[in-house]
Amino acid sequence: MKLLLAAALASLLAAQNPPTSSVPRTPDGKPNLTGVWQGGTTLRGSWDQANSGLGVGGTGRDPSAPPVPASQQVINSPAPYQPWAAKKVLESYNKRGIDDPSALCLPPGIPRLSITALFPIQMVQTPEQVIFLYEYMNVFRVVPFKAKHSEDLVPTYMGDSVAHWDGDTLVVDIVSFNDKGWLTGTGTFHSDQLHVVERYTRVDKDQIKYDVTMEDPQVLTAPWTIHTSFMLREGTRVQEYVCAENNLDPGRYEKLLQDGVKFTRQ
Amino acid sequence: MSRGEPGVKAMIQGPARLAAMFCLGASALVAHHSFGAEYDEQKPVTLTGVITKIEWTNPHSHFYMDVKDDKGNVANWKFEGYPPVVLYRTGWKRDVTMKIGDTVTVFGWRSRDGTNWAHSRQVTVADGTKLFFGPPAGTGDGGSTPAVKPQ
Repeated sequence: MKLLLAAALASLLAAQNPPTSSVPRTPDGKPNLTGVWQGGTTLRGSWDQANSGLGVGGTGRDPSAPPVPASQQVINSPAPYQPWAAKKVLESYNKRGIDDPSALCLPPGIPRLSITALFPIQMVQTPEQVIFLYEYMNVFRVVPFKAKHSEDLVPTYMGDSVAHWDGDTLVVDIVSFNDKGWLTGTGTFHSDQLHVVERYTRVDKDQIKYDVTMEDPQVLTAPWTIHTSFMLREGTRVQEYVCAENNLDPGRYEKLLQDGVKFTRQ
Repeated sequence: MSRGEPGVKAMIQGPARLAAMFCLGASALVAHHSFGAEYDEQKPVTLTGVITKIEWTNPHSHFYMDVKDDKGNVANWKFEGYPPVVLYRTGWKRDVTMKIGDTVTVFGWRSRDGTNWAHSRQVTVADGTKLFFGPPAGTGDGGSTPAVKPQ
């Protein structure tokens, strides 16, 4: 009788307090990553709620909101670049990133796109593939399960992605990048030998833990891993972003250089 | 915090620092152009004027404003900010929030070339609402910390 009462009570409590933060799953039992997400943040809530105090992609309704520290770089440890490559990274930094490929409206690649928090990312998961739709630069990835990288790939900005499950973690393996992108922040260039492994682990309804490892024997001394999260942004829609519409930056940079305007760091 | 942004000094040690700590490994990247190449964070500017033109364009939006000085001379200023998709998400409505002929107050940072051109951050629109039209100083130029150790 006690057991019955306990079961009834548990059932009642469960009905009153549904496990809203449990991991949504597909019929085949895998975590379902479908949704619109914001990368590079761990703040919960709608887009408005999560961004209003930061002033980056936020509501902007709080006049006293502080800016996000705009270091745009790894903040816990330096990137493991080979000495000659580190020098090249610093050259870009000292030129304040005027050689940023995205200033030419080129696709930023992975993981840079994953942590560009100003723009949402839509993920659509099916049993056969997972599709990433990035608002920034309006680029996409169609990532198949049960597929291997082709033998005759042509290097691209976004690389060639294939996926598999490691338990409840979606693992995306990316190769065949060109050497025209940056990995994260200013100057973080790479070669066409770049190999990226992303791990997406949905820990509850709101959060995907995102761990990404970059290997590039041409420019790095060791694998470089960074950790951040994708946060669910219900009610947000991925929209059109046509960067080439009115991109004035390259012309301005050229003029600044021609005019001798001093903007470099010492 | 020498950027002169209004009202941020007291709070920078709080939520913003916390947010930075949460993002161990990679702080959030924002927008693509180099703030530091084009604008000088040591030259904050607050101007009030009348809107003459608004461009809702990618990758960045712009608006133009007539500003009158003490002697009555009028200069037309150009301000740069977020792309339309970001402005929509930050509470702006095209042709509603800010219109040609409106008097607004803008806080931002002046361009390095010394012309009447600035990066806009906070705009106080005609009804008194304060909205961000652009990101903080330092966006897109590498900020204060390079990805590798300075040599």
